[in-house]
Amino acid sequence: MTDDRLWVEKYRPKSVSEILGNEEAKTTFINWLEKGKKRKKKAVLLYGPAGVGKTALVNAASNQFGFTIIEMNASDTRTEKAINKVGKPATSYVSLDSFSVETKGNILFLDEVDGVFGQQDRGGIGAIVKIVKESLVPVVMAANDTDLQKLKPLKKVCLLIRFHPVRIPLIITMLRKICLKENIEAEFEALERIACNSRGDMRSAINDLQSAAAGKETLRVQDTILLKFRNKDVGMYDLLKGVFSAESVGEAATLINQSNVDYDEFLLSVSDNLPFRYTDPIELAVACDIVSRADVFRGRVGTENWRLLKYFFNLLAEAVTVSPKSFKPFKFIFPPMRIMTLFWTKPKRAKLEAICAKIALKCHISRSTAKNDVIPFIKILIEKEKSTPIINWLKLESDEVEYLTNMKKL
Amino acid sequence: MMNIEKVMWVEKYRPRYLRDIVDLHHVVESLEAFLRNPNTMPHLLFAGIPGTGKTTAALCIARELFGEQWKSFTLELNASDERGINTVRDRVKDFSRYGRTGLGKAPFSLIILDESDQMTGPAQTALRRIMETSSRTSRFILICNYSSKIIEPIQSRCAIFRFSKLDKQAMVAHIQKIAEKENLVISGEVAEKIVEYSDGDLRHAINALQTAAAYGSGEIDDKTVSKVVGEASPKQVQLMLNKALNGHFIEARKMMYDLIGQYGFSGSEIVRQMQRELMKVSYLSDYEKAELTNIIGEYDYRLTQGANADVQLSALLAQFSRFSKSDRGKVVDG
Repeated sequence: MTDDRLWVEKYRPKSVSEILGNEEAKTTFINWLEKGKKRKKKAVLLYGPAGVGKTALVNAASNQFGFTIIEMNASDTRTEKAINKVGKPATSYVSLDSFSVETKGNILFLDEVDGVFGQQDRGGIGAIVKIVKESLVPVVMAANDTDLQKLKPLKKVCLLIRFHPVRIPLIITMLRKICLKENIEAEFEALERIACNSRGDMRSAINDLQSAAAGKETLRVQDTILLKFRNKDVGMYDLLKGVFSAESVGEAATLINQSNVDYDEFLLSVSDNLPFRYTDPIELAVACDIVSRADVFRGRVGTENWRLLKYFFNLLAEAVTVSPKSFKPFKFIFPPMRIMTLFWTKPKRAKLEAICAKIALKCHISRSTAKNDVIPFIKILIEKEKSTPIINWLKLESDEVEYLTNMKKL
Repeated sequence: MMNIEKVMWVEKYRPRYLRDIVDLHHVVESLEAFLRNPNTMPHLLFAGIPGTGKTTAALCIARELFGEQWKSFTLELNASDERGINTVRDRVKDFSRYGRTGLGKAPFSLIILDESDQMTGPAQTALRRIMETSSRTSRFILICNYSSKIIEPIQSRCAIFRFSKLDKQAMVAHIQKIAEKENLVISGEVAEKIVEYSDGDLRHAINALQTAAAYGSGEIDDKTVSKVVGEASPKQVQLMLNKALNGHFIEARKMMYDLIGQYGFSGSEIVRQMQRELMKVSYLSDYEKAELTNIIGEYDYRLTQGANADVQLSALLAQFSRFSKSDRGKVVDG
């Protein structure tokens, strides 16, 4: 009989000791769990990146120590009502199982609590805090990130346990164990590559291993090449690094196609970084021209002709490989300059727009005419004439006057 | 004081009645004919370059139709400021419903839609429908730079008036008249220089005159005008152009982002100004200017096709930087 479950399911840790890495977090959690009624805090919040064993730890520990888990995760709606419906009974009644010897009672497990935000989950956080306060049973929560402002109220009632990415050697150990059980002969470099690529995410490493090795008897480095950017957590930074150092159009195109980054942002980033990649003005001009054509294709794609997107990708791939031989590592600009510029200058622009609107109203012209044709004169008038009739007439506020006088000349 | 004095001269000396309008006798005559019997007035379309008196003529018509309370019967919209046809539709609808129709001399209210060639084709089609449904209660005056950008069905519903470039002598005379009223001394040559610099745009000329007056002494001389011209013409685009032409791509691009970010210029506006500045660059031959114009044209077209103005402008600047290093060298050396 073959077992065709996903390997992440098949090799899910059954006891705490099977979980690799994060020893400190594990110990803290087990101590908290074993204290029973003597716990200082009724709830814990496990937080850290995805795939490092938060959920696995809760499952394995409850399995080992005989708790029953009542679980809610992000797929359930988290309105106060919905949470109360599941949460209240679970927390206020002692389950029938508790009369048997094996179980020690219920644990309410709220997975992915940082998914609680937005309109649909209105009141969700408040409900969770309430449940923690009223609960008769321990509450365990898991989150990918605790920096979110919304989770603040939770921090006060919870014991916080931090999880770190799993160290690469530990991931390799795990992958080796799986290969052994699956009768796969794996090259060490291949496993190392998968492990490094996962960036400490055990779950994605196991998934990658399965997709690269399933059904094979041997696993070589070549089999893992395509994995380079399969990981959805791969950032813009890595993609840029990959494509700019690519040795051929084909290689760059493959990388772009396999990536999962926002391609508008990618387009801007490629455009931003070109002058650092190509120091020769002719190469730069050629590359910029190709990016410009890619942008035209982006315009044609619009919101419906997604079919055309492949030309967009291929042109970008061409743009980064105008002369592969001249590649020298350089420091990438990211996030895109435009996003940075527009973000920092937004208040300034808003002020200028407000001034233009006032001029437009008084002079029967459009705001853009005001900006292009009239502002330069007004600026000089305000600087030269110390009197204020024009300021009063246009009803300019003092900060707007200040803006105009300090404005860099156009 | 009841009336706050209008401080900007363009407003202070804006003609209040059609007969005061500079030049444009043929247009004024036809318009006055309509005003003698307002019932006969059709929708109007004014086309012409900036600063020739289109908006002024529209405002004069409003004043002559409704008297000093004209503002109550007139809706003034600027198509390039209003976002989308829906805003225009809603405001026109509300206005034709609540506007005080029929209380003035005329049996309708007036809707002035400035820069209407900025509207897209579909928006104009919608506008045409609005014109039909509200034509019982309202008359439209559409103002545009190019009548060819207005769709046929709208053109056929309007009486079209072309506002040609103002006569230079008439402009000079007008400038001198304003100067006289403001107790300024200005010679004929200097007034001519202001007019020359404004290229047929009277608004621009009056603004320049007022700014020159602010410099000082009561007499406007050649030097002051040159100063105003220098100070008030956009420098950033020129600087950016020079940076690019000298091969400093990264600095030029930084300036481009400033123009977009700090001043909120659109891509096409920057390209338009680049083209204008390019013609003034002294160290390029006519042949080189033609080459570069060709490049600007190509990227201007791509701007309309593409998705990101800054990407296109970056590419354009890169072509300019390259030009400095290769083609130009060739032309100069060879």
